[in-house]
Amino acid sequence: MIGQIFSRPLIGSVLAMTLGLGTGCSHWIELTVPTDAAPPTGTTVATDARVPLLLETIRVTHNGSSIAPPAILERQVFGAFEATRLFSQHYQSGYTQPGADQARVTVRLSIDNLVEPHAGQAAWRGFVVGASMFSLAPFISLNYDYSTEMSLEMERWDGQIKQYTATSNGSAHYNLFGANPEVIEQLKGQVTEACLSSLLNQVIQDSSFYLASSEQPQGNPIRTVSVGVHHSSTHTIPVSQPIADSSPR
Amino acid sequence: MPFLARILTTLALGSLMMTAYAHAADPTPKITVGTQEVGLSVGYLLPHRLTQNHTTKQQGVAFMPSWMMTLSDPVGDSWYRGQVSLGAEMVYIQFQEPFVSHGVGFTPKIKYTFVALDRIRPYAEFAGGPFWTDLAGKIPEESSRFNFVLTAGFGISYFLTDQAALNIGYRFHHISNAGTRYPNLGLNASLPFGGFSFYF
Repeated sequence: MIGQIFSRPLIGSVLAMTLGLGTGCSHWIELTVPTDAAPPTGTTVATDARVPLLLETIRVTHNGSSIAPPAILERQVFGAFEATRLFSQHYQSGYTQPGADQARVTVRLSIDNLVEPHAGQAAWRGFVVGASMFSLAPFISLNYDYSTEMSLEMERWDGQIKQYTATSNGSAHYNLFGANPEVIEQLKGQVTEACLSSLLNQVIQDSSFYLASSEQPQGNPIRTVSVGVHHSSTHTIPVSQPIADSSPR
Repeated sequence: MPFLARILTTLALGSLMMTAYAHAADPTPKITVGTQEVGLSVGYLLPHRLTQNHTTKQQGVAFMPSWMMTLSDPVGDSWYRGQVSLGAEMVYIQFQEPFVSHGVGFTPKIKYTFVALDRIRPYAEFAGGPFWTDLAGKIPEESSRFNFVLTAGFGISYFLTDQAALNIGYRFHHISNAGTRYPNLGLNASLPFGGFSFYF
């Protein structure tokens, strides 16, 4: 009997603490892409018709101010182009260049990032959480919005230029004890990837524009390669992870 | 006072040892949402008798370990550019005057840090919470041992590395029991302090 009397509050407390800590340490990310975004496209192109790509410039602004492109972003962009397999080789300005007489596609990318950390809201909600001696921490979420707009200019070897644009935005929601720099990095990474995917999907739809016309030698079969955007889906992706599982995927 | 002198000497020597490391690392702090801060501050409570009814000259050493979570990236483009953090602080005061007694409290704390000056970062802070002390009941100003403490102040953090900073500052310190028992005149004091923080 005594055991039952003590066990109920004890069990209740343990459940409440588990629930509180579980929800208090949570965070989730929501990505939103425009409803007019085209579905992922794939096609097949002749291997020998592909030409090299030269990534000439990446211009980045952060809330309207120009910043140096972070190395991780450059790698992400470069990797996204490589993953499409639409181009035979990939060069970056400042490194080894394709031959001067070689047909190539030159890429110029402009990225405008907008960050809204909701600092005022965080201050007020933080004040309320503090005034409640942190008991409201699991029930009050904080928000961080991030959006990016990319403009891609692709110039063919004969001087013809095509331009593409894409936008993507997302929000990270977290509780006080779930705040972590990793959450924000995940948000930025996912928004950037979604925007890149949308952009490259448009490029894939114009695949034939970036292929050199080549005649296959007689008797040799035409080798082909599947091209497409090999990134994650660009549909809205709600992600909910406890902080313990926030390791990079 | 010799005890306080030892503490301050330790802090000073510690800062000198950390400075050698500071020159080898990039000292620009990169504090973003979710960056946590743990710190320890030590100060000395100096009394303010605001009315004629206040007679106690309470004073003593205060120890304040703290934890904070950064809630926002830096906002604003001018001198007020800064970020908000929220956390909690324990405060232990060993009153030396009017007689040796003790006080311990727990205070949620909110802080706004100005980041425009890069390594030198002024801040304003506010904290409040329950406070227990055996000084009360033995002095005319306070009757109950259970009280509340409210502090508001400002300080400056000097970043030795991108993750470690020395802090100095001032707080106005108020102790009272919110009218739960009388008399409740309240104890007011200045609290100059120094300390260090680590960010991760």
